[in-house]
Amino acid sequence: MEKDEKHFSGGKRYRNKDITVYWKPSTCIHASYCYRELIEVFDPSRRPWVDMEGSTTEKIIEVVNLCPTDALTWKYNDEALNEDVRADQYNHVKFRRPELIGSINDTVEETPVSVKVMIDGPVVIKGDFDFINGTTRKEVRDGMISICRCGVSDHQPFCDGRHRKIGFTG
Amino acid sequence: MDENKNKKPQAVVEIIEFGPLKISGNFTLKDIKRDKEESPGEIWLCRCGKSNNKPYCDESHKK
Repeated sequence: MEKDEKHFSGGKRYRNKDITVYWKPSTCIHASYCYRELIEVFDPSRRPWVDMEGSTTEKIIEVVNLCPTDALTWKYNDEALNEDVRADQYNHVKFRRPELIGSINDTVEETPVSVKVMIDGPVVIKGDFDFINGTTRKEVRDGMISICRCGVSDHQPFCDGRHRKIGFTG
Repeated sequence: MDENKNKKPQAVVEIIEFGPLKISGNFTLKDIKRDKEESPGEIWLCRCGKSNNKPYCDESHKK
């Protein structure tokens, strides 16, 4: 069953090893080409309704190109290949949804930042975030910081472990 | 290639001077002690240790 269903702005995206298919429900006019031609991949009665392992990459591209709107669009996962795509690939994002070009890395990396409030300890923040401390703004990418919650750290705003000495609870 | 260049910040973490820790954006908050998990969009967490509504700020730091 389809494992790689992710949200992106305006809809969902589905990937196999070669391509990413974007689904934008707001523009679907239910022309039904997708499931009439390839029910193994596009099955509206199934959740998720797109199974990228249901057929070959070539066949999926062929059927996505039949979609008369930009409800279904596609692109190669290898950005270099996208540059050479020509206009006969009707529903390639280059022609239908240029805003999605080059965004594959962004969509893959849109993991929420993890904020963990530790038991009687600091708050640990992990991921991709901007950190503003006084007048400095630091771009933290795939990083981690530990912020004092007890108020007595000598290394403010960061935790230095003093919460344990003072018996902080909270 | 530095792949981190393509990464956009998902959230903004801000130390409010003499105040709480403000977090906004795409994040999940896990409070282990109180066994709560949520994605609130925006929060202010206590940094002074005095809040009566931990982990949130209740402005006790002003007292």
